[in-house]
Amino acid sequence: MFTRHVDRSLSRYHDGDLPTAQRQRVEAHLTSCGRCRAALEEIEFSAKLVRQLTAVSAPPSVWNGIDAASAGSHRDVGRRFPLRWAAACAVVLVIVSSAYWWTRDSRVGPWEVAQTRDGISRRMTSGEWVDTVDGSEARIIVGALGTVAVAPGTRVRLGEITQSEYRLALAQGTISAEIVAPPRLFIVDTPASTVVDLGCAYTVTVGEDGAGQLRMTSGWAALEFKGRESLVPAGAICRTRPGAGPGTPFFEDAPAALKQAVDDFDEGTRREQALAVIIREARARDTLTLWHLLSRVDKSDRARVYDRIAAFEPPPAGVSRSQLLTLDADALRKWREELAWKW
Amino acid sequence: MGASKGQVGWGGDVSPELLEACRRGDREAFRALYEAYKDRVYSIAFYFFDADADAAGEVTQQVFLKLMREIVRFRGDAAFSTWLYRIVVNACVDRSRGRRRDAGAEDPVVLDRIPTRASHEESFAQKELAASVQQAIATLPAKLRAAILLRYFDDLSYSDMARALNCSIGTVASRLSRGHRLLAKTLAPIRNVHQAR
Repeated sequence: MFTRHVDRSLSRYHDGDLPTAQRQRVEAHLTSCGRCRAALEEIEFSAKLVRQLTAVSAPPSVWNGIDAASAGSHRDVGRRFPLRWAAACAVVLVIVSSAYWWTRDSRVGPWEVAQTRDGISRRMTSGEWVDTVDGSEARIIVGALGTVAVAPGTRVRLGEITQSEYRLALAQGTISAEIVAPPRLFIVDTPASTVVDLGCAYTVTVGEDGAGQLRMTSGWAALEFKGRESLVPAGAICRTRPGAGPGTPFFEDAPAALKQAVDDFDEGTRREQALAVIIREARARDTLTLWHLLSRVDKSDRARVYDRIAAFEPPPAGVSRSQLLTLDADALRKWREELAWKW
Repeated sequence: MGASKGQVGWGGDVSPELLEACRRGDREAFRALYEAYKDRVYSIAFYFFDADADAAGEVTQQVFLKLMREIVRFRGDAAFSTWLYRIVVNACVDRSRGRRRDAGAEDPVVLDRIPTRASHEESFAQKELAASVQQAIATLPAKLRAAILLRYFDDLSYSDMARALNCSIGTVASRLSRGHRLLAKTLAPIRNVHQAR
């Protein structure tokens, strides 16, 4: 029997999803191939059992939780701000610039900023700064998308609000964002990179020298700078440096030697040695780091990085080694999608 | 559970009117949407997390709260259900990331977790069989688990699954095949009993 095995087509064959010609080819092969018949029997057996699983009704408590959370979010806003809004009304009256802006251009939505030390909430416009260098804290309400906590010692500039974008610029200090929004709706500029929210919660810190760090607590974010991009999932950290953009992301629970090696690599310190340590120390989860390095190492080192990733998770069907070594964008994306299940 | 107010069906998708009402913030409409999909979302999460009702409840809440916030941005480029299942899969995978590190679910399939006490003289009760299948599914790698549940539990087409899982139809087929082969191996004791009878 010299025809190729049809393992890859068997689930579609079993589910009646194959076009006629392909189905006939599979049937012809099955008549003479015991191995593929056995594989089909396994699929039939498994599918039959899985189909026996019955639907489970969601208990009423699930809706109650949704109802409470959705109503609660509205109530929270009210509860958080009643006194502050009363104060804010007075403040707005005396803050001439805000009032002027508000009457002058009602197209632009205001930011709502609660200054936690003085208990005052106020509406602020794009271009204004939220400044907590005096040791106070603040909270910025990002429309209906979420909130940004501003830690003491921070300077954040409020950017434009449009239908498609909420934008902040973090000059110095630390902010923690909790955002539930479609990707790329909430953006934070830092001196070294731009943090693009992909639906997540995170903390961004920028030091006096403009270098910074993104630490993800849930979801994903992208760090971007002049065409260089780092994708950072929950549990990972990515550092940024002025002029160099986003560094290589790594998981917080990665081996200490790997984390130090990533820093060394990004700073250009003994890169060859650093790469060797990363490759040696990497766990399956650290393919996050290795995948980013594929396009950042010298061409001569790329095969080593590829081999280490492939040892954990080979490229998916239709993606070749040569495509990945030549940094084919589509191939890299497909491999990343597979690897991301381990991240 | 059946269709809700004639606007959502098991095999169909949400009516534009219901979606529009949800976009306007109509809570009754959102409740109708929830009623139509809640059991499917809950069931997928329930079996994804090895019959953990707490995890299934939390994921279901998370999915619908996200839906509530983002439905204004659903443009209808794809079927609503595809969009919903993508949110469900992402929520399950996000949650399982934390669990995986704790529970070591990246380990190979654990054969001895499956109940094998049934003997030739004792047929498998339906409940016991379901428990075995459920446990076997829970041992699959997350991406195979998601594919199996979407296809065989909710009967999604290959093209809808490809959109929901953000991969090609070929990848869907590959994941299903691998998932089935692993399940068949894990559930071999049951198979042997069936064949012996």
